Amino acid sequence: MLKKRLFNKKPFAVLIAVAIFWIFVPFIVKSTLRSAFYEFQAPISASASYVRELQNFWAARSKSKSELYEAGKDLAHLNATYELMILENQAMREEISRLESLLGLPSRPEYKYEIARVVTREFNSWWHQLEIRKGSLHGIPMGAPVVFAGGVVGRISEVHQYTSTVELLSNNHLRMAVIIEGDNRPMSFRGAGFRLFRSPIGIAQYVPTDIAVDSSNPPRILTSGMGGVFPAGLHIGHLVSLKPGSSGMFQDGEIRLEPRLSNLTEVAVLISLDEGTAQ
Amino acid sequence: MNPDNTKKYQSRLWIFYGLLIILLSLLYSGLFYRQLIESESHANREKIQNQRRILTPGPRGNLLDRDGRVLVSNWPKFSAVVFLSDDLVQSAFHNHYRSLVRDYRERGEKIESYSQLRVHSRAMVLQSYLSEVNRLIGRQEEVDASDISRHLYVNPLLPYPIVNNLTASEFAVLLESLPVESPVQVYVSNMRHYPYENAAAHALGYVGQSPLEVKSDMPGNELKTFASKGTYGRNGIEKQFDQVLQGKTGSEIWVVDPSGYQVEPIRQTYPEKGKDITLSIDIDLQLAGESGYDLYKDKGALVAIDINSMEILAMLSRPDYDLNATSPFISNIVFADISERKAWENKAIRGLYPPGSPFKLITAIAGLKAGKIDASTVFECDGAHQIGGRRFPCMGRHGEIDLRTAIEKSCNEYFYRVGLATGVDNLSQEAIYMRLNAPTQVDLPNETRSMLTPSRDWKKSRTGEPWYPGDTANMSIGQGALTVTPLQMAMLAASIAKNQVYSSPTILKQSATQLLRRSPPQPLGLPVDIHKAIVEGMDRVVSPTGTARAAIIEGVSVAGKTGTAQINKAEGNLELAWFIGFAPVDDPQIAIAALVEGQELNQSFGGGTYAAPMARYVLEAYFKKYPEYLDTAKEEAIANVSLP
Repeated sequence: MLKKRLFNKKPFAVLIAVAIFWIFVPFIVKSTLRSAFYEFQAPISASASYVRELQNFWAARSKSKSELYEAGKDLAHLNATYELMILENQAMREEISRLESLLGLPSRPEYKYEIARVVTREFNSWWHQLEIRKGSLHGIPMGAPVVFAGGVVGRISEVHQYTSTVELLSNNHLRMAVIIEGDNRPMSFRGAGFRLFRSPIGIAQYVPTDIAVDSSNPPRILTSGMGGVFPAGLHIGHLVSLKPGSSGMFQDGEIRLEPRLSNLTEVAVLISLDEGTAQ
Repeated sequence: MNPDNTKKYQSRLWIFYGLLIILLSLLYSGLFYRQLIESESHANREKIQNQRRILTPGPRGNLLDRDGRVLVSNWPKFSAVVFLSDDLVQSAFHNHYRSLVRDYRERGEKIESYSQLRVHSRAMVLQSYLSEVNRLIGRQEEVDASDISRHLYVNPLLPYPIVNNLTASEFAVLLESLPVESPVQVYVSNMRHYPYENAAAHALGYVGQSPLEVKSDMPGNELKTFASKGTYGRNGIEKQFDQVLQGKTGSEIWVVDPSGYQVEPIRQTYPEKGKDITLSIDIDLQLAGESGYDLYKDKGALVAIDINSMEILAMLSRPDYDLNATSPFISNIVFADISERKAWENKAIRGLYPPGSPFKLITAIAGLKAGKIDASTVFECDGAHQIGGRRFPCMGRHGEIDLRTAIEKSCNEYFYRVGLATGVDNLSQEAIYMRLNAPTQVDLPNETRSMLTPSRDWKKSRTGEPWYPGDTANMSIGQGALTVTPLQMAMLAASIAKNQVYSSPTILKQSATQLLRRSPPQPLGLPVDIHKAIVEGMDRVVSPTGTARAAIIEGVSVAGKTGTAQINKAEGNLELAWFIGFAPVDDPQIAIAALVEGQELNQSFGGGTYAAPMARYVLEAYFKKYPEYLDTAKEEAIANVSLP
């Protein structure tokens, strides 16, 4: 009887033994194992994303000619618009350079863009992050800002050889200095997750007391550029509500982030050309 | 067992049961008493032992000028701080301490003081945090071990600042570069900010730091409380309206562990900002006045008043100081510098000066009211007036001179004669009626009460000597024992402008209702034609032939009176330049008094040369702002002048 009982307890004993063994495993071994896990996992995630893309490709192949024709027309439209915008941007860049040299201002930091496909999206109460299909082999540096057409996505929090992890704006561990459009006083931004069935949100702190929110035209929040990580003027979201802050000198506010953050398929990593890597 | 023994045994057992019941009853009664009757007291004791309260001062209200521009506000003071009670920090302290002890033991060295080692390990840990912050923002700060110990002893729940006064970019760099869970956090407190630096420094005043006032109706009064420092007004408006400006204190109640470190918050009340106050000061006029005194680095004071509302439009006192140097506290260096320059005093309301020639206007009014002269009375000026064995000089030989010209030329002899004819009693009475012997009751703290209008009785009681005619002559031209403040002289100018005696000026912007509630001024008591004669004399003062040519403004008629008074010192005389006036002459809106102190002893310092230009700066700014008060007749006259 006793023998049977002891036999039944065997799995627990093994578990406890493994746990005790794990506690005494040197840190370097644990760290290597963890990295190796990610490196082995990366090809699987990447393959899965390639398969998904293949699925999309075959799904697109099944579309009718008229649908493809319409899509082609839209694409031509978009291309034309982008061509125009490229020309406008070029003209504005030249104007900025001219003004900078005229005013003797230091030139703005230059970045190169590394476009990356999103492999996985993880949204839970602990973290909000994306896995992208570019890593240290593609020159992705730790801490680099990540953007998309709708503004800031987040920043690189982990870099592996073939993949990287992006900490999303809505992640409550992401913090940055932001400004309200047209006002140069820096405020603090921190991710605050998702409201149920609604857009991702963030929390603004140190909002000056003279700032008010007009719900029909909420103030736009942009990166300040002062913190040295994100370039200035990138879109973050809109300030939708305010309440008194704990210091009595500022207000705290809620920022509604881009809804597209939760279903991104492609992002761009900004790699600083000045330092090679972002801080 | 024998039945007797059984019985005996049972009876003993009953006794035992009885005792047991009694003891158990006592035990349960005690338990009942402790658990139910004393439960509240135990709960309170537990609360006092396990809870702490943190108080945060509410920001003070802003001070605004009459157009709503911010004169004094609160500026956030950003600091990089470490919460010493944070688990991470505590564990870092402990680990570092243990490694230090281990090192000592491995080296076989004896540890002199464990407590000192603990202090050292705390400093080392904080220095490591600080080094990271220094690297990020490019500073080279160092921690002070004794300061950390003091902070832990006095305010363990409040954050310990490792870098103060972060700039906006440093704030941004730390926000983006420090992880959210870092032991170093960005913290904000507030400090007073004065965007116009030294403008109206004495009127606005400054604040000092003080223990936070704890009100009896605040939650958690029975708890051990840690409070950030509060502020209190130490001077000027900040002091006078301290109660209004004070914000409402915020409070947080925390559960703490046995070491007194924070575990979780229970209750939080946000601090609230104090009420804003709108002042009557017009910063455009104030800055115009300041620029004049800046130009010549003059000492003195200037007051400008809105005649219709008795609101003070500008008030300056020199030497002055940059109010921002007093915030968040006055350092020893700043205090010593301001004290050495004798810049603390608001000369506009505390400076006592002989009024000099502007007092001749009161001599004239007293003579007119006493019927000793009229507007056409003429006296002969031969350059001096002999009284007994003493010769009282005039500035020139004016010959036959009437009241208007006497005011224009500031003829001493004319007013010696008027004063002597009128008598000291009438002169004193008139000065007292014009409120030169009492504080103006302006709503600013520390207005002097030592102004003096001498009289026969005053001299007798003070010196035991009778009043001599020479004393009357001196008093007639504003010399002798007479002393006034620049604010009183501005009020005198306002009173003459309107032929009424005004009192109680204010530095607060008045609403229409408040203006209606003001008590009406008393009449000056001069018939219109005689009042007009005095004003005409003052108008001529600010003309190409008068003594205040420097106060002429195109398009506006200004009435004024210059003066030069002397303060006798052992080493020599210090001259004072005065100008008082009002404008426009036909419809007075603004009254002004400017005083400039001589910079060196025995230096000639005329009011027309030194004080009138100061007044002109302010008057020009006023009429630039309110062109509707420009004298249209003068404008037309200027426009019609045909050039040769």
